[in-house]
Amino acid sequence: MQSYWFGDISEGVCMPFLGDVSATADRVRVLRVNLTDFMPPDWQSAVGCGVSRDRQDYISRLREVCILLAERRIWEEYQARDVSLYQMVRTLDEMDTVINLLTGRVIDWYQVTRPSFSRKYRRTPPRNLVRTISGKREGSLSKIASDIERLSETRTLLAREVSDTAENILPNCSALIGGLVAARLLYQAGGLSALARLPGSAIQVLGARTALFSHLRGKTPPPKHGIIFQHRRVHNAPPEVRGKVARVLSAKLAIAARLDRYRGVKVPEFLAEAQARIDAAGARP
Amino acid sequence: MIWVDGVLVSIGEGGVYGERIIRGARVWDPYRSKLSALYYKGTILDLTPDMRVLYLGAAHGTTVSHVADYTEVVYAVELAPRPMQELLEVARRRRNIVPVMADAAHPESYAPLVEMVDLIYQDIAQPDQVGIAIRNRIFLKSGGMLVLMLKTRSVDVRREPEDVLSDTEAGLTDAGIRIITHEWLEPYHHDHAAIVCRNEISGT
Repeated sequence: MQSYWFGDISEGVCMPFLGDVSATADRVRVLRVNLTDFMPPDWQSAVGCGVSRDRQDYISRLREVCILLAERRIWEEYQARDVSLYQMVRTLDEMDTVINLLTGRVIDWYQVTRPSFSRKYRRTPPRNLVRTISGKREGSLSKIASDIERLSETRTLLAREVSDTAENILPNCSALIGGLVAARLLYQAGGLSALARLPGSAIQVLGARTALFSHLRGKTPPPKHGIIFQHRRVHNAPPEVRGKVARVLSAKLAIAARLDRYRGVKVPEFLAEAQARIDAAGARP
Repeated sequence: MIWVDGVLVSIGEGGVYGERIIRGARVWDPYRSKLSALYYKGTILDLTPDMRVLYLGAAHGTTVSHVADYTEVVYAVELAPRPMQELLEVARRRRNIVPVMADAAHPESYAPLVEMVDLIYQDIAQPDQVGIAIRNRIFLKSGGMLVLMLKTRSVDVRREPEDVLSDTEAGLTDAGIRIITHEWLEPYHHDHAAIVCRNEISGT
């Protein structure tokens, strides 16, 4: 028997499927075909079945079914909880870039309006400088500075939101490296399912693509860490054990990601054991 | 193929992606579309009004829209939801595009939908491009054409593009697909080769 979207054909006899577009879409989703001795559908059989009037009718109905199927699948994909987190963390990182760029620009600009101004011997953080500039009456320069301040406030808000969402979606990963870094891992991997399928060694170098490929292609040393460096456990570790900490941490993260994907709740026994193991790796030899 | 003053065009409703229009025809830019680049490189592979096409890796539907201007029907396969969203919009306005949201590596998932075609156009950035082409051959008529856009960097970044190309061609030949020609798409696309083949035996 050959199964097609418009019906089943067995030994020249057609059993048409008589549902509407929506029912046909449901049918196609569950159809399973075996590709050995499979014959693709043709419009003449559909006409023979009495499902279509002619070729034009065949294509137009098939199109309707396919468009509906695709719309449903897109909707299902977007329903997944990690999709919005992905967009949020991406926006957050983009905002950081924009804020830094604009801050640099505004300070440069401010400097040429004050020939005697210098940042030497002063430890004014750029952020405070931006506040000073926004308070002056410098026209659009001050306006931009206050826009940057507003953007920074929004950024702080968004960062908290990302962190909260990550703790909800990635409870185990977040417990090991914090919500923000966990969210960035998810973004680099391309989603929760993708992250859960990565081996620990890949998680270790997520976000260190340039270094990794330059190592694979040439003679540069391999990267010890990618995004996970952002967590204090890695960047505060003594240099001689930093690679080790990164390796142990990422191995535990691989397990944590799978727990997050397939259980979705915190697993205290695992976390206690993993934390101890990572701390032990970070102890001075 | 339709050329206006040395510019490749297609005839259809414009404004799909902000393409230029000259004398009422849509400009098909070789820098944006690999298939267009192939025509600019002088390959003769006519798209005709009676042609049925299976397009694997349809992406946002920009090249698909041009192919649809020339041919009878295009089955456009794409897996990722974001590009599919755009492709659907193109398909709603072009009555001869059948959008299929599925993984081209698993033709069994869309086999009940796709009929026999005259041309398979494959533009997928995946390592196993030969395997995907061979699995989709069940849809290709005997004597039908296969155009494979090989992004050599997706197969293996560490190897020379030429080696990747010759390996791919060997894989296709072993499967009984006759290679007619290949073409590097410089200067339009880097490290991309187009392989034009013909299906010698019937797909099933």
